[in-house]
Amino acid sequence: MNNLSDASNHTPSEPDLIQACIAGNRQMQEILYNKYSSKMYGVCLRYCGNTEDANDLLQEGFIKIFKNLGKFRGDGSFEGWIRRIFVNTSIEHFRKKVKLYNVSEVQENTIEDTDLNVLDSLAEKDIIALINELSPGYKTVFNMHVIEGYSHKEIAELLGITEGTSKSQLARAKGVLKKSLENRSNKKSNDTINL
Amino acid sequence: MQNFKDRLFNYEANPPESIWDSIASELDSGDQKVMQMPGLRKRSRFLFYSLTAAASLIIIFLSSLFFEKTAKKSADQATTLVNKNYDNRSTVVRAKDSLNNITLEGIIKSSKNKSALAQTQIGKQKKYITIAGPGGQPVKISSKVATLIVSADNDYPPKAIWDKRINKWKQIMLSSTLSPTATNLLDIAELSSMRGDN
Repeated sequence: MNNLSDASNHTPSEPDLIQACIAGNRQMQEILYNKYSSKMYGVCLRYCGNTEDANDLLQEGFIKIFKNLGKFRGDGSFEGWIRRIFVNTSIEHFRKKVKLYNVSEVQENTIEDTDLNVLDSLAEKDIIALINELSPGYKTVFNMHVIEGYSHKEIAELLGITEGTSKSQLARAKGVLKKSLENRSNKKSNDTINL
Repeated sequence: MQNFKDRLFNYEANPPESIWDSIASELDSGDQKVMQMPGLRKRSRFLFYSLTAAASLIIIFLSSLFFEKTAKKSADQATTLVNKNYDNRSTVVRAKDSLNNITLEGIIKSSKNKSALAQTQIGKQKKYITIAGPGGQPVKISSKVATLIVSADNDYPPKAIWDKRINKWKQIMLSSTLSPTATNLLDIAELSSMRGDN
C-alpha cells in the first residue's frame, strides 16, 4: 500500500486497487477506470443507440462504482460486479426513456438461435449496428438474455414486466434481426451480381 | 470464428478521453460534499437534539415558575381580599366597640345614678349597642341589658359579669318548670295553645 503513489510504474493487486479507490486515491481510481472502461464502454454501446448516451452511461456507471466500492464484498468477480452495475445503469436509462407495456402471452413464431448464427460471421461493430436498429425494448431484452445470459424471470423483475412480455420482446427482436440479416444478405448478393 | 455472443460480451471500445476528466471532477465535487456533509449532518443533528432538549427544559422550568407565581399571586390576592374584608369588618367592630366601651366606661365611672345615665347616654345614640361577647365576638345588646351589666358590677370590661349573668339565667331556665325540656316541651306547647284558645 505504501507504494501506491508509484502505482503508475506497476499495476497494484485488485484488493489493493479497490482499497485505494475506497480511500479516494484519485490516481488509483484512474487506473481502475483505465482497466475497465473499454469493456464497459462496449456494454454501454450495446444498450444505447448512440455514442452520446453511451458516454453518459459510462460516466454515470463509474461514478456509481467509485461511490459504492465499499459495498463490494468480494464474493464474486470484481469485473462481474462492475458489469452488473453497468447493466443496471443501462436498464435505468432505458426505463427512463421507454415504457414497456405488458402483453398477453401470444405464441410468437419461435426463432432458433441457429437462425442467428449468421451473426457469427459478422464483425462486432456490424452486429452492434444491427442490434442498435432494434427498438429500445427489443434491444434491451435481447442484450440481457442473449448476451448477458439473464433469465426471463430476472429480466421481468429488473424491467418491471412479466416473463411473457420478456419472451415476446425477445422473439420479436430475433425476428427483426433475422429479417435484417436476410436483407443484408440479399443486398450483398445483389451487389456481387452487379459487379 | 468465435461465437457472436461471446464476442459481444467481451466487446471493447475506446471511450473519449474527456470522460475520465468529467468523472474526476464529479468525484471531486462529490468528495467535497462527502467531506462536509456527514460531519455537518452529524454535528447539526447533535446540535438540533441538544437545542431541543435544552429548549424543552427551559420551557418546563419557566412554565413551572410562571404557574407557581400565578398560583401564589392568586392565593395572596385571595388572602389579601379576605384580610382586607376582615380588617374592614374588624375596624368597624373595633370602632363600634371603642365607642361602646367609652360609653360604658363613662357610665361605670360616673357617680350619678348609673341606670338612668345609661338609659340617657345610650338612648342618645341608638336603641341597641354592640359589645364584645365572651369569645370576643360582636354582640348586639339592648340598652336595658347594658344598664343591667353596668349596674351589676363596676368591673370593666364586664366580661366576667356577663358570663356570670348568662350562667345564672341558664340555671333559672333549667330549674323552671315552664322552661322547655325534652320531656315538657309538648306540654308547654299544649298549654300555650289552650291559653290562646281562651
